[in-house]
Amino acid sequence: MANAVIEAHDLHKVYDGAGAETHALRGVSLTIDEGEFSAIMGPSGSGKSTLMHILGCLDTPTSGTYRLAGRDVAELDLHELAEVRRQTVGFVFQAFNLLPRASVMRNVIMPMLYTRVSPDERDDRAAAALRAVSLDEKLWTHKSNELSGGQMQRVAIARSLVNDPSLILADEPTGNLDTATGDSVMDLFRTLNAEGRTIVLITHEPVIASQAHRVIRLQDGLIVEDATSANADIRQYQGGEA
Amino acid sequence: MRLSDLISETFHSLTSNKVRSGLTILGIVVGIASVIAMLGIGAGAQKSIEDSVQAAGSNILTIMPSSPGGGGGFRSSASSVQSLTSEDAAALAELPLVSGAAPEAQGAGQIVTKSENANASIIGATPAYQTVKGLTVKWGTFLSDRNNKTSAQVIVLGSTLAEDLFGTDVDPTGQQIRSGSMLLTIVGVLEEKGTSGFTNVDSSAIIPLTTLQRYVTGSEYLSTITITVTDEAQMTAAEDSVTALLLSRHGISDSTQADFRIMNMADLLSSITTITGTFTALLAAIAGISLLVGGIGIMNMMLTTVTERTREIGLRKAIGADDNVISMQFLAESVVLTLLGGAIGIALGWVIAVVVANLLSMSAVVSLDAILLAAGVCAFIGVVFGYYPARRAAAMSPIEALRYQ
Ligand SMILES: Nc1ncnc2c1ncn2[C@@H]1O[C@H](COP(=O)(O)OP(=O)(O)OP(=O)(O)O)[C@@H](O)[C@H]1O
Ligand SMILES: [Mg+2]
Repeated sequence: MANAVIEAHDLHKVYDGAGAETHALRGVSLTIDEGEFSAIMGPSGSGKSTLMHILGCLDTPTSGTYRLAGRDVAELDLHELAEVRRQTVGFVFQAFNLLPRASVMRNVIMPMLYTRVSPDERDDRAAAALRAVSLDEKLWTHKSNELSGGQMQRVAIARSLVNDPSLILADEPTGNLDTATGDSVMDLFRTLNAEGRTIVLITHEPVIASQAHRVIRLQDGLIVEDATSANADIRQYQGGEA
Repeated sequence: MRLSDLISETFHSLTSNKVRSGLTILGIVVGIASVIAMLGIGAGAQKSIEDSVQAAGSNILTIMPSSPGGGGGFRSSASSVQSLTSEDAAALAELPLVSGAAPEAQGAGQIVTKSENANASIIGATPAYQTVKGLTVKWGTFLSDRNNKTSAQVIVLGSTLAEDLFGTDVDPTGQQIRSGSMLLTIVGVLEEKGTSGFTNVDSSAIIPLTTLQRYVTGSEYLSTITITVTDEAQMTAAEDSVTALLLSRHGISDSTQADFRIMNMADLLSSITTITGTFTALLAAIAGISLLVGGIGIMNMMLTTVTERTREIGLRKAIGADDNVISMQFLAESVVLTLLGGAIGIALGWVIAVVVANLLSMSAVVSLDAILLAAGVCAFIGVVFGYYPARRAAAMSPIEALRYQ
């Protein structure tokens, strides 16, 4: 029996914006084992990104417990949290979040600046990651704000891989990609998964979701379906964000 | 994070935001340069005034005619009151504490040579004038007692006046020049002296006192008697004995009715120091305002980028940077900016102080205090506000910082 990487219990997240509170998560419990390949689906605003941020230790739940690789995240101090983000989790943001004025190469190298990886190896790893997401080598020295959305997305994916994380959380990693590039990114994720990495990705596309082993469907901050992709009724979400 | 990475990240961050870096440096430069320039010029002015007073010597008493009943201060002018005579000066020279008494009268006139003419103040003096004022002769001799007895038409030129009339390094002794009805033979030229006390001897001409009284002022009265006292420690006693002698010679019993007044250089120095002190305080106030303006400039620049920088910090935190390391990166940037701005500011302030002081023909005094004050304040503001986003964002989750606006 595989070890659980993610054990979330009764997660709530309340945002208190100007005036109105938003209850983005209303009690999400979820266990994901090592080596699983899961897709999270759900309409826009259903709390997918919110959940991913909590799973990636980028944000804290309002209530509920979250254990990552057996450790209760609430008990980690700032340095341990930084180390988890650096070493354990590779995160691909929905909004990419690249450093706009820095080159592609610098952006991809950045996570390694905070580790002990040697400068030479950093360059090698960054180059390997950029090749893995099939980003044209001519673009590597471009500033990241000179790239198209799809190119930025691939840089963001490359950046999430360089520290060799065991858990990859990707928020709509193929959202800006054409079918061919999207497929090659999915091939990459499958390879990474085959190497033993746990992968969770958010997607709106049934084709993408069907490539995962497991599909988790979120609605209004609650999990409404959690099934293997073969059994999940994926198609009902096609264009299903009213 | 490696030191080499810290340096290269700092360099990249500063150069990829040239406008932000430039404006921050500018704020620091303006703040520091203005303070250093203002204080340097102020202190320079103060020093040059004090120097010229001190050059006159501190064992000197200056006696001037004054309207009766007046207190101290710089009021009446020599021309309005006539009370001092050559006989007074002769009597003063006999006092035990007095080593020399130089009577002096002043006139002004045009001095004409064959090819040039110049307006100069003409001082009527006796040989005592040379010793009392500490003058040295470059060419020829100073005036003699005989010149005075005979009201000889001879003249000694100050160094700049001689240069104006005859050119540099030309010995004009023996030549004759005209001034009014007088045809004067040049007997000597003085070495350069600089301003001392009230008069600038360099641009004056000196003729025998009796000659001046006969041909220029037509009056036997003096504008000043300058006295040297034998012992600087006895200045007060000397002043008292001078007062007593002059009162009795002028037949005045009530000292408040004195028709003269005595100034010693110590008093003069202290009143001038008060005036220049006020002047320096004014400059310091202006400098303080510049510092404030510069400081607010730095602050503004740093704060307007807080949003952008907070997002950047959020991103760095999200990819696993430790808060300490991020703080270090921001501190490094602030330190580099303040060091750069500080160095340029100090150099620029210094140059401005020197150039302006030169235009005012004095020398700037840039003190270490001024540099430390200006650099300290600007460095403090620069570092605090450069560091501020990092401290602030350290308290946020990466997502909060990434969404910050
Ligand atoms: N920082 C925030 N402050 C206030 N409300 C927020 C914040 N972030 C998210 N929300 C709200 O929480 C809810 C869930 O947002 P979330 O970003 O998780 O949705 P999502 O499922 O990722 O949607 P999408 O598919 O459009 O990316 C939304 O109603 C959103 O408005
Ligand atoms: Mg989302």
